Amino acid sequence: MILYLALSILIAAAAFPARSQRHLFFAGIAFYAVQAGFAVRLLADGLYGMTSAGIFTFDAAGTLFYLLLTLVSAFAYFHSEAYLKENDIRQTRTYSGLLLLLTTVIAGVYFSNNLAVTWILLEATSLCTAGIVYYRRTEQTLEAAWKYLFVCSTGIAVAYLGILLLCAATGSESLSHEAIAATVATANPLYLKIAFLLILCGYSCKAEIFPLYTVGVDANFAAPSPGSALISTGLVNAGFLAVFRIYKLLAVSSVFPWVQHVLLLTGVLSLVIGALFLRRTNNYKRFLSYSTVENMGIAAIGLGIGGIGVWAALFHVVFHTFIKSSLFLQMAVVRQVYNGYRINRIGDYIRINRVGAIGLLTGMVVLIAFPPSPLFLSELLILKQAIVDGAWWLVAAMVLLVCIVIYSFCSMMPA
Amino acid sequence: MILALILVYVVTLVYLAITERYRNFAAIISVQGWLLFAVALLRLHAIHPAELAFIALETLVFKALLVPAILFRIIKKTKINRVRTSGSSQFGSLVLSLTALIVSASLTYCMADRSIHLVFFGVALYALLSGLTLIVLRSQLFSHLVGFLVIENGVFLFSMAIGVEMPWVINIAILLDILMSVLLMGTFFRRIDARIHADDADALTHVKD
Repeated sequence: MILYLALSILIAAAAFPARSQRHLFFAGIAFYAVQAGFAVRLLADGLYGMTSAGIFTFDAAGTLFYLLLTLVSAFAYFHSEAYLKENDIRQTRTYSGLLLLLTTVIAGVYFSNNLAVTWILLEATSLCTAGIVYYRRTEQTLEAAWKYLFVCSTGIAVAYLGILLLCAATGSESLSHEAIAATVATANPLYLKIAFLLILCGYSCKAEIFPLYTVGVDANFAAPSPGSALISTGLVNAGFLAVFRIYKLLAVSSVFPWVQHVLLLTGVLSLVIGALFLRRTNNYKRFLSYSTVENMGIAAIGLGIGGIGVWAALFHVVFHTFIKSSLFLQMAVVRQVYNGYRINRIGDYIRINRVGAIGLLTGMVVLIAFPPSPLFLSELLILKQAIVDGAWWLVAAMVLLVCIVIYSFCSMMPA
Repeated sequence: MILALILVYVVTLVYLAITERYRNFAAIISVQGWLLFAVALLRLHAIHPAELAFIALETLVFKALLVPAILFRIIKKTKINRVRTSGSSQFGSLVLSLTALIVSASLTYCMADRSIHLVFFGVALYALLSGLTLIVLRSQLFSHLVGFLVIENGVFLFSMAIGVEMPWVINIAILLDILMSVLLMGTFFRRIDARIHADDADALTHVKD
């Protein structure tokens, strides 16, 4: 893992002084060759299931999300090459280098088995993302980058307080998952509850769920579309996985039912925000960003409901990654055509770009979980678990909010 | 001795709530850095000398010297002087700060448990609330930056109480992460001042549909 990180960082660093698009292209080829090589080692060379340097473990969830990340990042990078080729090379090379660095750091988050390492890498993602958001050097991007960096840094500092409290409560001498899992069952429940609240609150800025979802929405809005594709999927998955690992650690403790209730509440509030703000926006990128909040809310509900809901949550996040990244990449093309993302100024796209319009339409239909969309399956499984548990208030809330989301999508569907 | 230092630390947090001069903000962050340095030396004297040297160096160079220097540089470059329009009066801020202190002390008392050093936890909680109050009540971006640093210092204080042993690489990475965040925030702050001509969060209204 250390060799992988070193190689990836070196190649990403090589992109910063690039003098032409051609150099950036070759840097991309080298970088994704390393990613492909690492993926092959993971799957075919026996690396899967092993631990590296004592702080990384190649588990199932990490490996799955890493494969998704590599795919989305490669598309985002090479799409950016085409999308930004007319722009100043000095801006583009910084953006490209940061995109590669962000990919590397996110991969580190996926495989980390130490709470401190996860924290460090998530903080590093804030730095890379702020740079990507600031790409266009406008007042809007400057403001979005400042807000993103400030809120994420503060949120993640709060999460670190939670991590330290978790460590103190368990009496663990290190911040590795194994050490904490070994003693979490006997820890003070009140400390565990406060620790979980602080961590969830801090990491919510990355997972784009309530309460710190706003900075993610602004970042997706201000960043170039291919960058948004990576931020709203790979980076969001990193935040989700960080929360999921804490969830798994607390699964053997006495506070687990309480943790599930908190996640249910967070998920429902995220779904409410997503559903309501989808109706209010007149910008496709903000629309897709609020859709991310809504979908991550559904994933949080899946974790909160437990049982088959956990599997459904992971399934939902995986397919959300495919669909949302595709839509953001298509948005890059839409911007080239219409010079903006305003919903009321975009129309007749099917005459201009037939394939793109069909792709966009299909993506939107899949995103609203219309059968046979995989998201329909995951939402159905979550609802089924809620019915089995007799959580009728949750069933009613989910059905109502999903209906509002579908209505919002139908009224915004591109012509 | 440690208790006395922590009391002074609490006083700096109360003072932070009532002062309105930016230079005082930077000076308080520096004082907190020196206090953390002294607490680190006294509290962690039993750990490995090399590790102690690293933590001491980290607090002295980074928290007491480098970060305050960055803050003073921002003040000089952007020519900001004092809070122009406070979200609340000094008296209101003081009352809120003291309320946060009472809430922190009460919560810490309720949580009384041998597994956590309560004084450190209580002060860290108070630092967290003070930082958040500064961010929420003051609209100036510089105050927000200071609020973030106050939270960071509080978390650092709490980490000393727990005494988790972390590899050097992780300690350095944490340090670099925070340093880069402060540097980047400083850079963005200066650019916002130069381009948008605003040091007030209320003026940041460009990110919209």
